[in-house]
Amino acid sequence: MAEHLVYFDALTEPVRVPTGTLLAEAARMAGLEIGQPCGGQGRCGRCTVQVLEGNVRRRSTLRLSAEDVAQGFALACQTVVEGDCRVSIPPQEKIERRLTTDRTVSEITVPPGYNYELDQTIHRVHLSLSPPSLEDQTDDLSRLLTALKQQAGFTSVSTPLPILRKLGEALRAGDWNVTAILDVHDLFDGRYIEERLVDLLPGRVPQEEPIWGAAIDIGTTTVTVWLVNLLTGQVEAQASEYNGQIARGEDVISRIVYASKNGGAAEMRNLVLDTINQLLATVCQRYNVRKKDWESKASPEQIVKATIAGNSTMMHLFLGIPASSIRLSPYITAVNHVPLLSGQEVGLNINPLGIVDCLPGVASYVGSDITAGVLASGMDDTNRLTLFMDVGTNGEIVLGSNDWLVACACSAGPAFEGAGVYCGMRATRGAIEEVWINGETYEPTYRVIGGGKPSGICGSGLISLLAEMFMTGVIDKAGNLNTQLGINRIREGEYGLEYVIAWGEETQTGKDITITHVDIDNLLRAKGAIYAGYSVLADSVGVPLEMIEQMLIGGSFGKYINVEKAIQIGLLPDMPWEKFQFLGNTSVRGAYYALLDHRARARIKEIATRMTYIELSADNSFYEAFMSALFLPHTDLNRFPSIAQALKSPASAG
Amino acid sequence: MPVEIPKDKWPGSVRKVTLGATTAEGGTRGKTVTVGGESSLPFLHFESETPCRPAVAIEIRDRRPDDWSPLLIETWEEVIDDPAKWAKAAEEAGADLIQLTLSLTDKNGNPNTPEAAVANVKAVLAATSLPLIVFGPGQAEMDNALIVPVAEAAKGERLLLGICEDKNYRTIVATAMANGHLVNARTPMDVNLAKQLNILISDMGLPTDRIIMDPTTGALGYGIEYGFSVMERLRLAALQGDAMTQSPMLVTPGFEAWKTKESKVGDGVPEAWGDWLKRAIHWETLTAMTLLESGADILVLRHPESVRRVKAAIEELMTPA
Repeated sequence: MAEHLVYFDALTEPVRVPTGTLLAEAARMAGLEIGQPCGGQGRCGRCTVQVLEGNVRRRSTLRLSAEDVAQGFALACQTVVEGDCRVSIPPQEKIERRLTTDRTVSEITVPPGYNYELDQTIHRVHLSLSPPSLEDQTDDLSRLLTALKQQAGFTSVSTPLPILRKLGEALRAGDWNVTAILDVHDLFDGRYIEERLVDLLPGRVPQEEPIWGAAIDIGTTTVTVWLVNLLTGQVEAQASEYNGQIARGEDVISRIVYASKNGGAAEMRNLVLDTINQLLATVCQRYNVRKKDWESKASPEQIVKATIAGNSTMMHLFLGIPASSIRLSPYITAVNHVPLLSGQEVGLNINPLGIVDCLPGVASYVGSDITAGVLASGMDDTNRLTLFMDVGTNGEIVLGSNDWLVACACSAGPAFEGAGVYCGMRATRGAIEEVWINGETYEPTYRVIGGGKPSGICGSGLISLLAEMFMTGVIDKAGNLNTQLGINRIREGEYGLEYVIAWGEETQTGKDITITHVDIDNLLRAKGAIYAGYSVLADSVGVPLEMIEQMLIGGSFGKYINVEKAIQIGLLPDMPWEKFQFLGNTSVRGAYYALLDHRARARIKEIATRMTYIELSADNSFYEAFMSALFLPHTDLNRFPSIAQALKSPASAG
Repeated sequence: MPVEIPKDKWPGSVRKVTLGATTAEGGTRGKTVTVGGESSLPFLHFESETPCRPAVAIEIRDRRPDDWSPLLIETWEEVIDDPAKWAKAAEEAGADLIQLTLSLTDKNGNPNTPEAAVANVKAVLAATSLPLIVFGPGQAEMDNALIVPVAEAAKGERLLLGICEDKNYRTIVATAMANGHLVNARTPMDVNLAKQLNILISDMGLPTDRIIMDPTTGALGYGIEYGFSVMERLRLAALQGDAMTQSPMLVTPGFEAWKTKESKVGDGVPEAWGDWLKRAIHWETLTAMTLLESGADILVLRHPESVRRVKAAIEELMTPA
């Protein structure tokens, strides 16, 4: 048999191998280690190498784009040597970025053209007042209002009591130089302009000093806060935490039930306020640690405007408005369009007069998290038929384009946010965010956010784990763990059958990280509800899924989603991967845009008005669709041709 | 004016499945029973031929049942303590198939044992020449413990084995594959669940012509509409070409009808309900007939009079107008 020389760029000496040797094998013979988490089955793409020159034959290029192949990239486990060749092994991080399946959250950038002067409702003006004297006996307020009119052009400023209380001191402490912060809101479509004095600071605040705002998303499971400098539009710090209400029920219905009990509403309100106030402190702290001693610091009391998105139930509970009618037919909210409120009224630890702007929702089960999400996704402004889904505790789904928008909501549970799962956690440091299972040994390999030892598994990790367990046969299509594989990772645990992802010695806590059969059932139900939601929604307007031109996915399950795996478990429809885009937390992003730009805020209102809500419980088609989606990937395999193909001919067959 | 009857032409058909194996085929049965093969909705002879007639099985127990209606006990009294004799009597009563249910416990309340189960199945096989359906007590663990040794002891007989459900299908299917039997895939009244279990079983490699679907149902007045609708939709899916719904269907109207108050209780019921025995038999017969019209291929009954009536009805239904 012919022999060939393989030169690896990391080594000086070539290795001599017979024709037909796998590149992975050649590398091993040369003493190089190429990671093969999937067990050399051509499934994971982690063994990608670049063939710089020479003769090789690729048995499978499943992981690689045509462009990659043209550049010489090849899977070491699927490529055989057929002549002398020169091979480069790229660093692991580079490989991961090359993979065609991963959709990373798009970066947060300040909206192009953001202009504080033109877009912002918050204005900061410096005023120089002429000091009073025995001759000029004008009172402080009139003096201020005159200055506001003459020097800044504000003609009808309202001055709440707290401003009057600090007025005298502020003017005198700055020696009649004062900085006023106002909120100017165009109410009722230009028929009435409200100018409200929010704060009065002595002296001249330097021009470049930040003006603080906050974008807040109150999720059923996760609450997110962004600290924003309204002057530049820059997001300066972010923080998320589980909603403190979780302990009182995992879904909106149980929260409403709890809140309807004696004292429940006040308790729920305080729980979420505590969570948000804590997060406000955290973002300020995160900003401050980056600052030098002499630079000015941020504190929650300086936040003069907070824009809030959340589903209708969360909004009601946050504001202490009874929510029980949301739960009962005909499912009516107390309020969809909340008027502007102040920090003090609401109970947020921001500037007491700081503006609290709760974004408008559509219906009981389509709140401002989704109207804000639609804005963030831009789907209301495109002529491409778009499906946007916010994969959260409530899966909200919107279909349409600039012409029309229909929306529905379905209850998915908190599993994709890492809650309600035995070893689940939020997508933060220490969370397993991706898992590969070797198809022969059933041994897992995982990647942890921030490197280091894992302490749990987050939403994207769970999606990836479920897909891997399914594709390798660790679970069957109904999600039952296969006890006949004869591996010690599948065992009877405290909560029934489970699969061990990481042994105690590998983890931060020293305890095994496992996924139980109850978790698997929860995940199946979550993905089944989402699939059923969008397929019934599309059906109800007569749009076949194939016609959808782009799929935009929002959710807080991690910083990226592996589209292929999400398809394998039947969470996403079987479509070309390039149709998918992952937007991360769209709700807080929408709130952020509305915080910055009053036109974006107006657009959310318009979206809320335009959107048609479809009630899934109106007939039994949702239930039917849900039952058929409670299977991997789906009871009707014809809907997932690529998975049918993959199951029929695993790449390991060559 | 001539009226043209509209005819549906379906792309799919129900699979033919044969229960039992003769000596030549590796078993000991005097005859085999083949069900399925329909390529139209039930009994629409003008659309297509119905190649196999629906089969009637009689349910017997491995011991005197504790919870059966006194009417049934009375009917089978002479044979009820001997499953072999009971099987023989059932064959004489006109059954096409015998369905033996293994009890959870023996008559003293001790757990049933694999040895007893095997002995009873062998005795029944020896007493009748009909193909045999064997169901465990319906608790996944106990079903596995009893059905596996039975399957091994009766290797090659093409028994129909149950209860094979979502949670224990692996064990039952594996033993059916190893020993040449069939499985009865039972799911709780849902089209998707029925299809899903069929997929899971096929994924293990059991040939599809060895799977019977048991979609479960309710008795007349106890949710039969729902059961009917599930079966009808399964059959429509099969005819439309969905391979994973094309298994013949087994239902247990005897079990369902005889647990209703109307059949089980004779005392303290309104007088207008009429004669107890007549009522109970009507109940079982009407439940069975309804399910027959929704596409049932195997009906498991309990009372010999119901068997006579249902068989007579099948005879009529099978005769083209």
